[in-house]
Amino acid sequence: MSFLLPIPLATLGWVAAIAGGLTVTAYILKMRRRRFEVPFSTLWHRVLREKEATSLWKRLKRWLSLLLALLMLGLLLFAALEPELGEQDDDAQNVVILLDASASMKAVDEGEDGKASRMDAAVEIVDDILGSLGGGDAAMVMRMDGQTTPLTRFESDMPKLVRLVRQVQPSDTPADLRRALSAAADALRDRKNPHIILVGDGAYDEEALNAVVWKKAPENRLDAIDLGGIDLRYVPVGSTGENVGIVAFNARRYATDKTSYEVYIEVQNFGKKAARRKLVLYNGDVATDVRTLELKPGEKLRQIYSRGGGEDSVLRASLEIETKGDGAAKDKRDAFALDDEAWALLPARRKQKVLLVTRDNLFLEAAMLVYDNVEVDKLLPEEFDQAVAKGTLPEYSAVVLDEHAPANLPPPPTGLIYFHPSGDHAPFKVRSEVVNPHITDVNEEHPVMRWISMGDTHFDKTDVFEVDSGKGQVVLASSVRNPIIAAMRTKERKIVACGFSVGGTDFVLRVGFPLLLVNAFDWFAADEADLMTTYATGTRVRVPMDGVVGAREADVISPTGRISRAPVADGFATFYASEVGVHRLAAKEGDKVIAEVKLAANLSSPTESDIAPSTELRAGGEVLKTPDAFTASHRRSIWIYLLLAVVLLLCVEWVTFNRRVTV
Amino acid sequence: MARPKPKEVVQDDRQELFDDEFLKKLEYLHIVSRKAFAGRLRAERRTKKVGSGIEFADHRKYTMGDDFRYIDWNVYGRIDKLLLRLFEEEEDLHIYILLDASRSMRIGSPLKLHYAMQVCAALTYIGLGNLDRVGIVPFSDQLHEPLPPARGKRRIFSVLEFLRGVEVGGLTRLGECMDAFVHRYKRRGLAVLISDFYDPRGFEEGLNELRYNKFEPFVLQVFDQKEASPALHGDLTLVDCETGEAKEVTVSRALLDAYKREHEKYMDELNQYCTRRAIPYFRTDTRVAFDELVLRIFRQGGFLR
Repeated sequence: MSFLLPIPLATLGWVAAIAGGLTVTAYILKMRRRRFEVPFSTLWHRVLREKEATSLWKRLKRWLSLLLALLMLGLLLFAALEPELGEQDDDAQNVVILLDASASMKAVDEGEDGKASRMDAAVEIVDDILGSLGGGDAAMVMRMDGQTTPLTRFESDMPKLVRLVRQVQPSDTPADLRRALSAAADALRDRKNPHIILVGDGAYDEEALNAVVWKKAPENRLDAIDLGGIDLRYVPVGSTGENVGIVAFNARRYATDKTSYEVYIEVQNFGKKAARRKLVLYNGDVATDVRTLELKPGEKLRQIYSRGGGEDSVLRASLEIETKGDGAAKDKRDAFALDDEAWALLPARRKQKVLLVTRDNLFLEAAMLVYDNVEVDKLLPEEFDQAVAKGTLPEYSAVVLDEHAPANLPPPPTGLIYFHPSGDHAPFKVRSEVVNPHITDVNEEHPVMRWISMGDTHFDKTDVFEVDSGKGQVVLASSVRNPIIAAMRTKERKIVACGFSVGGTDFVLRVGFPLLLVNAFDWFAADEADLMTTYATGTRVRVPMDGVVGAREADVISPTGRISRAPVADGFATFYASEVGVHRLAAKEGDKVIAEVKLAANLSSPTESDIAPSTELRAGGEVLKTPDAFTASHRRSIWIYLLLAVVLLLCVEWVTFNRRVTV
Repeated sequence: MARPKPKEVVQDDRQELFDDEFLKKLEYLHIVSRKAFAGRLRAERRTKKVGSGIEFADHRKYTMGDDFRYIDWNVYGRIDKLLLRLFEEEEDLHIYILLDASRSMRIGSPLKLHYAMQVCAALTYIGLGNLDRVGIVPFSDQLHEPLPPARGKRRIFSVLEFLRGVEVGGLTRLGECMDAFVHRYKRRGLAVLISDFYDPRGFEEGLNELRYNKFEPFVLQVFDQKEASPALHGDLTLVDCETGEAKEVTVSRALLDAYKREHEKYMDELNQYCTRRAIPYFRTDTRVAFDELVLRIFRQGGFLR
């Protein structure tokens, strides 16, 4: 007899102790009895006196009842161990089947007519393998793509496994063989006759295959996958290698001229024949460019498009088969359609309107002129206050308040930049004032302070702010723990405040000053030059959520409309793309979306796009063989019989109790 | 042992107890009793008292001062001894109906007390109809307020009114109550004891009190079928309705059977006790109609002679 031990023994021990204790306690505690009025208790006393003589038997009956209950409990716990008969058979195998469900398994090149996918073929193979296993064998099927997911624990119920395997669908992510092999090896640890059977097309990372070691790995090889004592077999699927795919696609705005952008596309022919493809670039639903590409076997072509204008839009690149004759192909897509399309996002680009509230500060006005993406208006503080009070102030993206901290502010989401704010309405409480401070710390991670150096800047004096990080406030620059420049993101707007006066520092003469303003305007508009909007599927990335405060989770809406959750910490969402297409991340507070980011995910994996099946796979220097036929073994699970015994005992207990035999 | 519960007046619904139907049955019983004892003289129930009646009873030796008129001269002629002829004195028989009004009589369906009251009323009516003097003495652990002995059928309504107002409660104490009874009532007669006889101290002392004090006991034991054969099972706390004493028991089939046997045995003990001492004994289940019981009493005799 053997035990599958689905529950750790220690846990089961605790459960047994607690359940046993409760059972005994229940027998010790007296039940609340019904009261019954009798006319003449003397007769009952007489009867009970006679019964006293047999009280030993009565007690024994109580004990029998308790023993019966404990026996039932014991049988239940024993059943929980999943005891099995017949595993003494030394031929019984423990098999982990790694079912490749990566993107390349979507390739359609299987079956007699070549119309079946590799996934269908792999599922058939796994069905056969499971069908050939003996009754004493235990198998676990793991789905392998960018992640590794066991479908079950070790099971001897092969029909159940077959049912689960038939539900497996390939994903859009590359296979992570290293993770899958490590997980399989861990699952097989301390099991007899361990086997791993890899069913896939061989489109795997060479590095992972080379990391396999068959004996105990040296201590200095932390990357090694230890498969010592485990028999690794490989069953290939797939028949063709002809595929042309987009392996890179991205778009970005020029840092110097944000009104223009460029698009980068990389297309590769993975086949052994020359290929001709039509590359179409779409902006939204409108085709903006069509090119015909002639690719030699293995050739990689890089295309760069320079474009002007363009608002917030989705770019799509599409590869279509083009024949030389009539130009119309029967099928537009090749055997592997997933890499024939790719998406990229063009970040929003808006001209910003900025209001300068100052009494003719030349330094400030001059700094505004260096940025051609802003339109600047100017008002005196009194005029500004009047306009706000009357509600006649036009809508501005940002307002720069020089030596002025008004009570009434323009409505959100207008961003605010303060210079030397004072009074009750200053955005930050002024803690103190320091004379001739030196900037010692600059928060370079914040987008406002990007590329800004303040090391040798002089100030005659500056206010020191009190900054509360719990309220979304952050220090941007400080002089020995005295915050001089700070930023704040409320739920409605963003604010940057400088404790110094523009007239009292030489910072305004440096390059950093206009840059600070530009960065602040870009931050207000959530226009971050560093923001990547295109990622490869199967990778986990941290995406800035526009400095969002308070949200701990963001909804991820996939291209197919599936909604999942992504954790958000410190304003960054951890995002894992499992589908090709445009994803939307929305951080919410209640039902209100407080920050939203769009991201494009593409396969972008030459390894996956190279769909040529590997009939021979080498791991750790050895060629992987196909699996041998399994010898028949016999094993029978007996938990169901134990459960039936418990039910039977329960019936006996019920009958004997109700017939007052065991009471 | 729990403290005995104090006596209390229990208000149970007795208004419907003696309805027209009941009165019709009483009248019927009276007619039956008249037929059964047709030819007898009115109020000619013979007492054991020897006196000036016309029915010869016995002889005794003549002693100085005896009335010469009663010397049996025929006997003197035959055996030459002066013997005096004695006659049974004819007088109104006193019938005392001792009605158990303890708490245990309030159990059963119908209540044993109600049943006992109906039987009591019936016997009283028949007694009154025969021109006997009938009194009712309820008791429990002491004698309750009695209905003094009276004669005449017209008294029946005051009897029924009395029964409606009988106080119920307290323990069953036959011995003490019968002792009090015999000391209070000097005129001997028939003492009809209607009770369940659930006295923890036993029934013997009470019956002996009556016997030793020249009363003629007449025992009528009333029980409810559910107390003879209770439908109990499982873990219970049995509470004595009189003493309040509680006992936790687990009632099994075997225990229940043992109880039934014990109950039967207890009633048989009373039966045997009465039989051995020539005390008329009747046992009745409250399911038996009261008039049926009364007819059975007529048939077996003992109440009317």
